[in-house]
Amino acid sequence: MKFKAWLKTIIFYEILIGMKATLMHLLHYKPITLQYPHEKRILPDSYRGMLALLRYDDGTEKCVGCDLCEAACPSRVIKVISAEVPDEPTKRFAKEYYMDMTRCLFCGLCVQACPVDALGMTREYEWAVYDKRQLLLNKGQLLAIGDRSYPVREKRLELQHPNVAFFNVAFKHLPPKES
Amino acid sequence: MATTAVETVRLTIDGVPVTVPKGTLVIEAARQTGVMIPHFCYHPKLKWDANCRMCLVEIEKMPKLQTSCSTPVAEGMVVRTATAVVNEAHKSVLEFILANHPLDCPVCDQGGRCDLQDFSHEYTPTTSRFIEVKRVFEKEYFSPLIETQMNRCVQCLRCVRYCDEVMDVKALAPVGRGTMTEIKHFTHHELDCEFCGGCVQICPVGAFTSRLSMYEFRPWMLKRADTICTYCGDGCQITIQTKENELIEVMSAHGAGRNNGDLCARGFFGYHATTHPDRLQHPLIRRNGQLIQTTWEEALEHVAETFTRLKLQHGPAAFGGLIASRCTNEDLYVFQKFMRLAIGSNRIDSSARYGHINGVRALRRVQGTHRWTVTFEDIVSADALLLVGTSLTETNPITGLKVKEAVKKQGAILLTIESLVPAVGTISNITNLATHHVSAHPEQFGNIVLGLIKAVIEEGLVDQALAQRATSYVQAISEAVRACPWPVIENATGATSSTLKETARTFARAARTIILVGQGVLRAPGGYGIVMNLLDLLLLTGKHDQPGCGLAPLAEENNDQGAVEMGTVAEFLPGPSDLNDRPARERIAGLWKEELPQGAGSTLIKMLEEARTGKIKAMLIVGENPVGSLPTGARAKEALEQLEFLVCQELFLTETAALAHVVLPACSYAEKDGTVTNTEGHVQQVRQAIEPIGESRPDWQILSALSGLLGYPLEYGESREILKEIRSLIPGYGLLGPAPTPPRPDQTVVDRYLREGYTEDLASRYSLAGEGQAERGSRKEGSFALVVGQTLFHSGKLSTRAKGLLQIQAAGFLGLNPANAQEIGVTEGDRVRISNEQGEMTTTVKLLDRVPEGLALFPEHFAEDRLTDQRR
Repeated sequence: MKFKAWLKTIIFYEILIGMKATLMHLLHYKPITLQYPHEKRILPDSYRGMLALLRYDDGTEKCVGCDLCEAACPSRVIKVISAEVPDEPTKRFAKEYYMDMTRCLFCGLCVQACPVDALGMTREYEWAVYDKRQLLLNKGQLLAIGDRSYPVREKRLELQHPNVAFFNVAFKHLPPKES
Repeated sequence: MATTAVETVRLTIDGVPVTVPKGTLVIEAARQTGVMIPHFCYHPKLKWDANCRMCLVEIEKMPKLQTSCSTPVAEGMVVRTATAVVNEAHKSVLEFILANHPLDCPVCDQGGRCDLQDFSHEYTPTTSRFIEVKRVFEKEYFSPLIETQMNRCVQCLRCVRYCDEVMDVKALAPVGRGTMTEIKHFTHHELDCEFCGGCVQICPVGAFTSRLSMYEFRPWMLKRADTICTYCGDGCQITIQTKENELIEVMSAHGAGRNNGDLCARGFFGYHATTHPDRLQHPLIRRNGQLIQTTWEEALEHVAETFTRLKLQHGPAAFGGLIASRCTNEDLYVFQKFMRLAIGSNRIDSSARYGHINGVRALRRVQGTHRWTVTFEDIVSADALLLVGTSLTETNPITGLKVKEAVKKQGAILLTIESLVPAVGTISNITNLATHHVSAHPEQFGNIVLGLIKAVIEEGLVDQALAQRATSYVQAISEAVRACPWPVIENATGATSSTLKETARTFARAARTIILVGQGVLRAPGGYGIVMNLLDLLLLTGKHDQPGCGLAPLAEENNDQGAVEMGTVAEFLPGPSDLNDRPARERIAGLWKEELPQGAGSTLIKMLEEARTGKIKAMLIVGENPVGSLPTGARAKEALEQLEFLVCQELFLTETAALAHVVLPACSYAEKDGTVTNTEGHVQQVRQAIEPIGESRPDWQILSALSGLLGYPLEYGESREILKEIRSLIPGYGLLGPAPTPPRPDQTVVDRYLREGYTEDLASRYSLAGEGQAERGSRKEGSFALVVGQTLFHSGKLSTRAKGLLQIQAAGFLGLNPANAQEIGVTEGDRVRISNEQGEMTTTVKLLDRVPEGLALFPEHFAEDRLTDQRR
């Protein structure tokens, strides 16, 4: 027993175990560095990249302006200004929607918080810019990202869907809210 | 009854022993131990209904679960609120409610402060066994300001009960049965009610929400500021909620302030007036006849230079000052100090002059107080209430609620002498609740009061103790009323002697009586005399010094009372003490370390007259708009145009400010700190909710800066310092607590009045007003007596800038009795041209049952707009 321990000491056994992977690659040499702009990694399915706003299949925005993403965001990336949709009384939407992506942690809490799945995380990550201000995205930009990242759109839900009854419903016979 | 100690009951709630008064409900007892029992339909303000079944608890020795909101406590009761059985019951009730409640919380404005959301998080499983389709109601348009989403309703009927029990409006009703019960209003057209917003505030879910702030916010974004509403003298506590310096909504929590969480349309929907886009943002200065934007430095220096020059040329007496009694006590105090020290003139007046001063002067003369001797609580617990010329719901809606509570819940007897007649309408009418109502032509209030006193004397209702103590006083009044024979009184007023006698008997018989005097009397010519006579009525029936009895003049503007107490009226120094009161002068001079100016004060009307004749050369007008609000606006304009120099501190470019040489932008109540004194003499805190709009500054800061330039620096760091100074000068301002003790009548003053004080104007007070005029009813064909009054939805001119209130009432109207309207052949909505000696204008007819025949009601708020419209 004592001999065995002594042997392990003099041949640096633990270090050999630790270096096993390195030594193996040393023998079977194959480069693993990617030549980035020319080569790109295959992203995992759950990759959390750039955020985007999505649309229904008929082209309408999914977002109902509920501000829950704003409430869920830990780093105050999001700012929603909600209002009644012009010409569609009692229907709520985000009149303005801003994301300050310089602060985003890509934690995905906003996507989880969204009750209508209007937010999605894309697989885009190439967002290096020379000017930080270009990372302050507005609703149009976020929708554009969604449009190019999610070509297949969800079908617009029926009025009586158990989870979203009375979302996205306008009552045309009512007068709009006066401003 | 009051002397015996309240019986108490001991019980145990969740193992905690608690002692509560007998008759307390279990839910309230639990609240005292810190246990919140979930509930929807229960509300402390309302009678229990026990329809939501959410508040079930387990009570030992009772076979089934009990609704804690309807079970009074009993001795030795053992209540458990969190057992497995109770939790199971909560789960079931919520499962039933959620079977139909739509999951649209993300777009619901109640989301985040919703009882159903909170209870669901606490008690329900996340799944439901219901697979059926949810109930859907057809969406109906409710009103421009109140949004309903009946699919969200949990049918607790709080709104319906509030509307009936508290507001006495009865605009809402449940329609349908079971889960298909829907809250509706009675008519097919849109909601037409008082718009108090009570249903919005009391709804536990999002079935009723405000359309005014719809979708603008989420509850967690809002910043709150507890402040005081500035629309009327009631002084309701409101909580202004703001989001990023924007006014979002107003609410008032249950139990808050003197209003106990109740509001009126002006308080609940009228908050946008202060952020109207027309607000003045920069100082304006007149150059070549035009008002142009300038800097604060230039404007203030110009004012200071001109003031100094005019003071050297004409002396300090050539200056006059006017201030609106909507300003805070601090503004009013600094204003009068500025006028008295920096300028050196006693020519000061405020809008308390229009009416409230008459009430205060009468109170001071007869009983030596300048405030009510009663409180709102006394009104609620009174046995009889006499209303004279109040139009209570329209002018002071929350005092109106106290009267309604006294009548409906405490069984008080209501006696009214009003120009409106009882009639069912969409806005509650206080005369409907009256046991004895005397319908009076607005000019006849004095004569009816005279008739009441005559009845008191003839019916032998005079207090025996008083008759012995002040024989000559009773004798003098008896003789005076004997000179007014019944037939003449009956003929003039249209009230029969038997009605008046019956009213007088009821009034004298009740133990706790309060007389509420409204603007109909206070603003009338001779209003002071009528208030004096009403005080005589109290004295004669021996009630003036009884607990819970008194005379209460209702203030129209939020700080009328404060304006008088701060000494911003012609006849008073701060205190209020008389202008010539030597000890008071010395005390104030000692504190100010400066001599007070000599010379008499001038009332508002006299000041305008002096301006016309050139006696006054310069005026400083703070927030007041005589051109717009005086009935003789054109004459006021003429007078102000004569001035060499006019400075206005204003929120908006009003008719008066448009005449000014320099206009300084001032802050509204939402942008400054301070205190205001409500009609019952309760000093309350105004707190800043938003940053000042543009370059506007609080009035006291402007005056403080100006005083420095004039060489008499009145330096204050913040409004608190001014309050501290006020406190050292005026008793009663140290109290900012919840319940002020009202002053008692000063017995020496009362004795002096009974001995000799009454004599000086007895003859003029006790003569029939308008005698020899054309008989009642003999009006000329097609002519009406015009009553210019307030409506419930507006207050002064300020509220006509509030977009919410404009959605309820956007323009003036002419209220006519349907019978009269038929006579002259007009119907609802017709445009009519009305004219009198002063001018003519066109307006829309509105048929109102409550307007008596021969009268025409016209709201004072819109007159000017309409006239300008017509000129175009």
